[in-house]
Amino acid sequence: MTTQETTVSTHRSEYQPIDGRLLDVQDLYVEFHTRDGVARAINGVSFTLNQGESLAIIGESGSGKSVTAQAIMGILDMPPAKIPGGHIYYCGQDLLSMPEDKRRKTRGPEVSMIFQDALSSLNPVFPVGWQIAEMFRKHRDMNKSDALAQAIRLMERVQIPAARERVKAYPHQFSGGMRQRIMIAMAISLDPAVLIADEPTTALDVTVQAQIMSLLQELQQERQMGLILITHDLGVVADVADRIAVMYAGRLVETADVFDAYAAPAHPYTKGLIDSLPRLDQKGQTLRTISGLPPNLMHIPPGCAFNPRCYRAAEVCRRDVPQLREVGIGRHAACHFAEEVLHG
Amino acid sequence: MTETNVLAVGLEPEPQDESVGAPRSLSSEAFRELRHNWLFWASLILIVIFLLMAAVPQLFTQTDPSKAVLKLSNTPPSSSQWFGRDTQGYDIFARTIYGARASILVGLLASVVTSIIGVIVGTLAAFYGGLADTLMMRLTDIFFAIPFLLGGILFMSTFPNTVNSNYFAIVGKVVLALSLLGWPSIARLMRGSVLQVQANDYITAARALGAGPWRVIRSHILPNAMAPVIVVSTINLGAYISAEASLSFLGIGLVAPAISWGVAISDSLNWIRVAPWSLLFPSLFLSLAVLAFIMLGDAVRDAFDPKTR
Repeated sequence: MTTQETTVSTHRSEYQPIDGRLLDVQDLYVEFHTRDGVARAINGVSFTLNQGESLAIIGESGSGKSVTAQAIMGILDMPPAKIPGGHIYYCGQDLLSMPEDKRRKTRGPEVSMIFQDALSSLNPVFPVGWQIAEMFRKHRDMNKSDALAQAIRLMERVQIPAARERVKAYPHQFSGGMRQRIMIAMAISLDPAVLIADEPTTALDVTVQAQIMSLLQELQQERQMGLILITHDLGVVADVADRIAVMYAGRLVETADVFDAYAAPAHPYTKGLIDSLPRLDQKGQTLRTISGLPPNLMHIPPGCAFNPRCYRAAEVCRRDVPQLREVGIGRHAACHFAEEVLHG
Repeated sequence: MTETNVLAVGLEPEPQDESVGAPRSLSSEAFRELRHNWLFWASLILIVIFLLMAAVPQLFTQTDPSKAVLKLSNTPPSSSQWFGRDTQGYDIFARTIYGARASILVGLLASVVTSIIGVIVGTLAAFYGGLADTLMMRLTDIFFAIPFLLGGILFMSTFPNTVNSNYFAIVGKVVLALSLLGWPSIARLMRGSVLQVQANDYITAARALGAGPWRVIRSHILPNAMAPVIVVSTINLGAYISAEASLSFLGIGLVAPAISWGVAISDSLNWIRVAPWSLLFPSLFLSLAVLAFIMLGDAVRDAFDPKTR
């Protein structure tokens, strides 16, 4: 394993983290202009990601978590998407104002991503080894045999059995978990500083989920990557993430250290999510849920977007949008009653 | 290797057939399917024979196709001249063999040219979308609206071939006429196919891993979107052969000295009651050639279509 580590991590580029800070997303807005109107998918999201840190972004479908990831990667389809405001600084350089060609070169060696469904994320007409090797050939100008040797090493690193024999196999000849490993191998092939994993385990069954998550965690620690883990599965998060950021209707409603958030959430929505997890000590009871549905992004309710579903909603919630503010050491929440929620 | 041990215990059991079987690509799967299809073999054998006729007609006959023996005009088939002789005293067997070259050449070239134009236009339209898509597709519609044969007749009668034109100019002009009218169907097909492929996650994944537009098109879109075009182009090849014959029949496609089935059919019509064999054999070969390409296209389509499995 040592040879591979040295070959992979020798390169470091013009991008150097500032005070360990890799990503700094500031007041990001994304809207989708459709025939039916404007869907405001992200409404002023700010967060940071440090070297070696793993941040979990949590939220239901349509909360804007995947769109955030796509905006960072620059793979939103524009149009219909539009970014009317905000900055995404990567090592101090704004990705959003960068020329497209320069930005494209950050994808892969600097910022990389793995996707939900690994079967459809791999090109069906080429062998997997070829696809991994392509990363080295195109970005590192390696020749074919060196690139293939690297591909085999990476496949071994992500624990694909008999990698040497299977390097010529096609994606459909692998099981779901193995495909996701191959996707991970491709994503980390150029030793990126930031890895975004967009629901990497959703399409897998439970036992495989755990393996993939621990592989990701292992790779992240080994390479000191910044990891953004996007998920709706709170169970997956607890082991891997250092910090969580909860999104609702395109806003961050809470950011906190993962243990703090689980122990004492500071936002009613986070509280609702945690309460709705099935628990072993409450066998036989009805699972608690959050009533209502997430808002239509074309008609986000005035005030706090969560107010129609919130057990605590008061007059002020229907009028004023709560800002994300510090409610404890290292934790922020966007709720008018954050302190009350936090302490009881 | 310490970190590997952490997970080794819980590694997914791999089904036997998965790890043992040799790597199989989609096209090799398709070929496995084709191997059991007699239509595929029948059409392939016919096509190989026709290709040989086109390339080396001397293999099949030693008779000079342009040697007219008027004394033997309209001789019926016999053991010395298998297909008989036509009014001019040409040996019909030799002329039918030599006629394959023009038809196959026109069919192949027209197919290749329409595929190239169609693939480029269709891919760019689908990939760039928006205004580029609209402009290119409306242009496609304009050409699509021209009736195929009528357009061909119009083109060929505006720029007619004469007896003095050289062989490649004659063939080239027919190919140009057919290509000009044939590319829109391929462009539409390719556009649809690319739109379908583009929606796949692996295109997004390729972009997220730093692939530029040119590489996305070349390594990810084209290999996945080409199958329908290959099938339709094969079928079209047959159609182009019959279109060439139609134009030649009308006297505006290939003209003498080029030898062609269409020309032969046209020449035989006045003598159909005296020498029906001069109509029969060129028509038979023409039908067989068209049939062979259409059957091959059908077989390949079935093999590539996962729904028929």
